Amino acid sequence: MMSDAVEKAFAAIPGLISGGLTTITAGSPIHVQGFPSFVHKVCSLTSKYEEEQVVKRELTLVKQRLAQPNITQAQQADCLVRLLFAHVLGYDVSFGYISAVKLAQQGTLAYKRMGYLACTLFLHENHELVLLLINTIQKDINSSNIMDVCMALTATCSLVNTEMIPAILPFVQEKLKHQKEIIRKKAVLCLFKFHRMAPNSVQHIHHSFKEALCDKDPGVMWSALHIYHDLIKHSPSEYQDITQSLVSILQQVVSRKLPADYEYHHVPAPWLQIKLLQVLALLGKDQQKISRVIHPVLAEVLQRSESNQNITFGVVYECILTITSISPDTRLLEYAAKCTGKFLRSKANNLRYLGIKALTKVIQVAPQHALDHQMTVIECLEDPDHTIRAKTLELLYRMCNSVNVKVICDKLLEYMEKDTEKSIKGDIANASLRGEDSVLLFAVQTYWELLQRKDVPNKLIQIGAW
Amino acid sequence: MQFMLLFSRQGKLRLQKWYTAQPDKLKKKITRELVTTILARKPKMCSFLEWKDMKIVYKRYASLYFCCAIEHDDNELLTLEIIHRYVELLDKYFGSVCELDIIFNFEKAYFMLDELLLGGEVQETSKKNVLKAIAAQDLLQEETDDTKSLLEELGLTG
Repeated sequence: MMSDAVEKAFAAIPGLISGGLTTITAGSPIHVQGFPSFVHKVCSLTSKYEEEQVVKRELTLVKQRLAQPNITQAQQADCLVRLLFAHVLGYDVSFGYISAVKLAQQGTLAYKRMGYLACTLFLHENHELVLLLINTIQKDINSSNIMDVCMALTATCSLVNTEMIPAILPFVQEKLKHQKEIIRKKAVLCLFKFHRMAPNSVQHIHHSFKEALCDKDPGVMWSALHIYHDLIKHSPSEYQDITQSLVSILQQVVSRKLPADYEYHHVPAPWLQIKLLQVLALLGKDQQKISRVIHPVLAEVLQRSESNQNITFGVVYECILTITSISPDTRLLEYAAKCTGKFLRSKANNLRYLGIKALTKVIQVAPQHALDHQMTVIECLEDPDHTIRAKTLELLYRMCNSVNVKVICDKLLEYMEKDTEKSIKGDIANASLRGEDSVLLFAVQTYWELLQRKDVPNKLIQIGAW
Repeated sequence: MQFMLLFSRQGKLRLQKWYTAQPDKLKKKITRELVTTILARKPKMCSFLEWKDMKIVYKRYASLYFCCAIEHDDNELLTLEIIHRYVELLDKYFGSVCELDIIFNFEKAYFMLDELLLGGEVQETSKKNVLKAIAAQDLLQEETDDTKSLLEELGLTG
């Protein structure tokens, strides 16, 4: 009874039923229940079998409706909503893909929007139907209606494949000069996608990347940084000359020179800070001179990140990674190690997890900092969360040296005795297998001791390989 | 970001957005396994997972789980904030969002996501700007004569 009442209530919401309840056909009318009552019905069913019955019946109906010659755009959009719903539930709705393409091609305004959405969710860049969209995308990117441009750029990002890039690229490139930053931003992200898919296809427009990086809008500049991140990852030496500019941008961000709009929970543009830190980490790697240019701003980032917001920790974490990636500076490393301690001592599991990861990086450059945190780290082995235990093990192998090997091994064996989870024992076996220099000593000893035990899983015995 | 999934406590998928091309079969497999893995985790456990070759960040809001697969050099805490920002946006749009809003108006939730993320990268960080863009798009639905003037008012005409 109750569910009947609810169903009626949902069916009565007028704005939600875009397709109308009855479709008049040339012959007999097809009776269609409103989308909300269909959804409600599906949600109220408890067995998978019943659900299948209802959804399949609905899909047959949708198929009939879509086949009608005089179907309106509103009805097509209504059908697509139903198909999308069934698609998320895992049903095959491929018969309707072509209708999505048609609506994106021929639809107007809101219906075009629905058509494009369905295309991006049903299809992917390698789907054969995307070829049918090239002309539509070209036309819409060039439209004088800004909404069409936005939709087309969004579709470009998920549907254009390598072969289509040359046909679309000039139109996207043109949009880099658009007066609205929302369009410029979308265009830059399309180029980023193209660059990821086929770097050669955008090789001749590197000057456009540079223009985007110098855009007066910080959002556009930030989007361009994604491209630079990739470029620098592949050939860091070619981009050394932008280090100074990036350092000054970061300096300006941390000293709150950006408009208040760019603050997130009172932290100045954290996403931009994090991106800049990632790029600087690549530029300063093994480059002492460049690293010296970067060092001061890293200290500033840490100094200014004192709040206990999650996002502040995100910035600090990234900064620690950058400090450990570029040529080392003793004072900065000490600072980084101190900050790492804050993560490790936190009660929040997320922060402890990142603390373990950060310390793994720190001790690779500055092993002396391992000792300060040794006991805290070992305690993490007792954590109920497998994710944290696995990361801790990885760190312990790295921390291990001839001085602390006994302590760590004792703890590990004691821990294995208690632990009933097979997976973690497997982890230990796997990690021992890596057999890196300092790890080797540790592994040999672990192995030796394990061999003397009776309850060791077979997997461990297999490490006799070395 | 490689994909974002929204699913309920009962393991029902509510929304999925893939930023890399994958065969449907693989998508289903990943979804099924990941949902099971996450639902098996206890509430206080950390929000990050190294799962297969993927880095997973997830968070539960009321009855819905938001789950993202990110690149290896992506920042985990920043991803949590992206999820949070998405929830804030849905909240503002629907007025205290609940799972039902997303079930019945999932296309709206997708439109919102498309303004927040493009090709798996954050495109707009200002809450105000995302809502402004969505409001302008929603006006398309009305198809009235004064749509254009309203668009102009919002600064969104070409």
